[in-house]
Amino acid sequence: MWKTVNTGAARAEEALKQFLPPCQLKCPINEDIQRTNVLISMLPLDPEGAREGICQIGDYLHERNPLFTVCGYVCGLCELECNYQAKGGSIRRRLLKRFISDAYMDRIREKEEINVEKTKEDVAIVGGGPAGLMCAYDLSRRGYRVTIFETSDRLGGALWLIPHYRLPEDVLTTAVNNLVRICEADVKYNARIGEGKYSLDKLRKDGFKAVFIAKGTPMPRILTYGREKVEGQELSGVMYGQTFLYEVSHGNIQPNYFGGKKIIVIGGGNVAFDVARTARRLCGETTLVCLECEDKCSKDGIPADEEEIKGAWEEGVQIVYSRGVRRIMGKGGKFQRIECPHCASVFDETGFNPVFDSTDIVNIDGDVLMITVGQGPDRSFLQKENLLDDRGRLAVDPLTLQSLNKDWVFIGGDVRKIGFMVEAMHEGLVAAESIERHLRGLDMRAGRKREYEPQDIPFRRIYKHEPEVVWIPPEKRLHFQLFERGFTLKEAIEEAKRCARCGPCVSCKACLAIGIQHSLPVVEVNEETCSGCGICTSICYYGSAQWRFKDGGTVSTTDTFRCKACGMCVVACPSQARRMIGDPMDTRIQEVFSTLGA
Amino acid sequence: MAKKRKIAIYWLGSCGGCDEAIIDLNESLLELASEVDIALWPIAIDAKYASIERLGDRELALSIIHGNVRNSEHEEMAHLLRRKSQVVLAFGTCACFGGTSGLANFLKPNEIQNWVYGEAPTVVNRAKTRPQAETTVGGNHLTLPVLLDQVHSLNQVIAVDYYLPGCPPPVDLIAQAVHAVIEGKLPPRGSFLAPHKALCDSCPRNAAKPPKIELTHIRRIHEVDEDSGTCFLARGVICLGPATRDGCGATCLSINIPCSGCFGPVEGVDDSGAKFLSALASLIRAQSDSEVSGILDTIPDPAGCFYRFTQPSSILGRHRK
Amino acid sequence: MTTFEPKIVCFSCNFGWGYLTDPEVREMQIKHWIPVVCSGKIDATHILKAFRSGADGVLILGCVDGDCHFQDGNYQTRKKVQLLQRVLPSFGIDPRRVRIELSLDPEGNSIRKIVEDMGRDLRPMGPLGMKEISAKPVATR
Repeated sequence: MWKTVNTGAARAEEALKQFLPPCQLKCPINEDIQRTNVLISMLPLDPEGAREGICQIGDYLHERNPLFTVCGYVCGLCELECNYQAKGGSIRRRLLKRFISDAYMDRIREKEEINVEKTKEDVAIVGGGPAGLMCAYDLSRRGYRVTIFETSDRLGGALWLIPHYRLPEDVLTTAVNNLVRICEADVKYNARIGEGKYSLDKLRKDGFKAVFIAKGTPMPRILTYGREKVEGQELSGVMYGQTFLYEVSHGNIQPNYFGGKKIIVIGGGNVAFDVARTARRLCGETTLVCLECEDKCSKDGIPADEEEIKGAWEEGVQIVYSRGVRRIMGKGGKFQRIECPHCASVFDETGFNPVFDSTDIVNIDGDVLMITVGQGPDRSFLQKENLLDDRGRLAVDPLTLQSLNKDWVFIGGDVRKIGFMVEAMHEGLVAAESIERHLRGLDMRAGRKREYEPQDIPFRRIYKHEPEVVWIPPEKRLHFQLFERGFTLKEAIEEAKRCARCGPCVSCKACLAIGIQHSLPVVEVNEETCSGCGICTSICYYGSAQWRFKDGGTVSTTDTFRCKACGMCVVACPSQARRMIGDPMDTRIQEVFSTLGA
Repeated sequence: MAKKRKIAIYWLGSCGGCDEAIIDLNESLLELASEVDIALWPIAIDAKYASIERLGDRELALSIIHGNVRNSEHEEMAHLLRRKSQVVLAFGTCACFGGTSGLANFLKPNEIQNWVYGEAPTVVNRAKTRPQAETTVGGNHLTLPVLLDQVHSLNQVIAVDYYLPGCPPPVDLIAQAVHAVIEGKLPPRGSFLAPHKALCDSCPRNAAKPPKIELTHIRRIHEVDEDSGTCFLARGVICLGPATRDGCGATCLSINIPCSGCFGPVEGVDDSGAKFLSALASLIRAQSDSEVSGILDTIPDPAGCFYRFTQPSSILGRHRK
Repeated sequence: MTTFEPKIVCFSCNFGWGYLTDPEVREMQIKHWIPVVCSGKIDATHILKAFRSGADGVLILGCVDGDCHFQDGNYQTRKKVQLLQRVLPSFGIDPRRVRIELSLDPEGNSIRKIVEDMGRDLRPMGPLGMKEISAKPVATR
């Protein structure tokens, strides 16, 4: 069994000249996707033997991303940019991550603490969600004494909004709880910064030299029609979807809580669908009403993912498109129905500006109304702490995440700009770097803006189709267990092999990591002998061998960022004008040939 | 008057084309003849072997030897001229690499003799006569040279100082080489007096080559339309240009014939046939083994095609049996 | 005639053969073994030089078609071998002396047997004996 080597020559370098495979470019934390894909493809076929390799891959991923096990269930941004999309379907990287994480869970619980001496300053992190956790992890490893102030009684933040049929509770708790254990960060639960005795100034007085605010977006957005708040949102039976999901996540709700009831969900985003499908699983007859239309390609297309819509539809959720809510009506203080005019257009040149047709109204009856039209930050806190600018917007430098009003305060994650989990994690890392620079008196901006270019897919004769994702049939799905089947070992190896390895060698180095070779060879062209015949250009699958004009003729060159040192150009060159430097093959051949005579 | 330097120009297993190429120097020949004494040149001068044997060792400044070593007389003369010369120039592809008649190495000597003197359809030889090494006629003992078991390039028999490939070498390269010797401005011993790169470097069709060459068919020259601008290889016609040394002036290309490799391998390459094989195989585009076979079936004699001029100097050398 | 043990030079691709086993272990199992990072790096010249240096056979072990880490190295080499197998008979060399197998064996346990099988097939052909041939002139009579 190979043993991965992560030091010295085998360590993946940050791309020197701004090239990365598009998947790694899309990933907000630039995870080593290609490297770990190659490693997965080289696992042994027997599960026992593979365990060791999986742990090595998991260790590598965990070191850079202690929340990687969660990514395998909820992310997949990389797949949107995968070059293979146009050739047969994106590599199912999320399921590959999930495969590793399923086998890695025990290992996380057993991982040792990082054992770093915390000799640097105290830093406070407000918010125990993905952004805060990543910041805590990074700063702890750099030697800072980190304290996380979390409002609720559990870490994870907005991740608790994700229903357990998509993200098992055990995966989430194992990841977040062990993260703080491993990096030896201190956590204060039920601590609301900005309320009562806790304010930023108090934190300062208590000795915290920097604060990272990652409070997220705990405030559900209220329903409006035009610019007016819709009346009736306080009726009994009306709730906000976000609040509902948090309640359900505590696991205290009976399985048929909504038995016999009609549930109406307002909203067209992924969270609205989470709410609708959760309500279905609690036996509610569920209808989802959204402003947007069914055609995802139009400007007003429903924003939720195709997979969510398909899943919801299969599970029996009714979807009503292109309707707004003008009135919420009740009787005796209890919700009864909503009045829904047709929405002719959602967006125009000015932005979000729904246009309704009041001659086309339907009424929809229901027992429970879930309003899921977005969430926002706790603005009163931001205002009280003087973190807004004079136009009421958050005053923060987008590059360094440093507050423009208080230089020891840093703000990131959903509270700054709502986005995906991994984007928040990235902001946690950016904030950690900024805090270090601030406290060490270093330049805040130098070297932080990196422009990267995606590399194209290499040519292949045979492109394979993506494997089918298997879901439990809808009638068997109405519970909170996972419904998506993950990869078996064999399937994971097959899928990892399908990855085309688009990215440059320097940011991968998987082959060095497991001893396939010991250094990256370099291809050199002898311009004295190269006749510019172009055969190497024809045969190069990576677009690395190219023509160049020289002295009135042509010679070939090698683009070292595309070149994988595969050697095919060296062999195909009829002038022997190309050679491989740093490849021990020729020496070995001489040695073996010299023993043949004996 | 200072004594003129002596040179020899001699043919071994040669067709005579190399001599014609030297004569193509035209008036420059007269210049040459005024600078040097041509001590031996069978096509032009009536000298005898004995006159060469009488010379002191290294008395000849230069021996220009063309043709390959096929029989014992060639071998003997090669050694003789080596002993008597300061500089030996292997002139022409036969001397440098073995040449076209080197293809005889794919057969055994007795197979050749049986065909030529027996099995060829136009031969009538009921007595099964074969050439003999010696015989007696009228009391006189006569000998003939015997075939060697294979065709050799000159450097397999004697040490060679310089090489000038070509079938035959072009006049401009000959003039350059001769001047270089006379003026004493020669590159290191063992060098080729010709450009280092492959023919594609000076071929007028190279610039318009498509970026990707993918051969799904291999064609003979008569199967494609005449087109003086496009690269032959790009259209599936085998052209050995990429694996052949430059210097001939692309004469064949200019009259619409693909290169057959007469200048031998590019500088630094031992076996141009093997290199061309690798290059050609790389350019073939097919999915299955049988598709590849189908394409390769259209090349009737790959070994002959790749080694047309260089068989004797190839890595594998002559036929095994 | 004494039993002749064919000398087989074995090239094997590191991405498809034996990457789960320690190199020292593989080294002991296979004589004349040349591990390469991709079978696509094997040139026709290498094969010919192997014969010239005294090999009786050359075996190339590459990856399954479509699974080459470098996209198509195995396919390129297979084409070269096919063409080479048509050239060798003109030199009087049996084309079966060059063999290419495209498969996957992460442990590398089958390599020894494949070499032995090839040896068994080559034995009746006798030694190639190319190392002994000299380029010096020899008269026919």
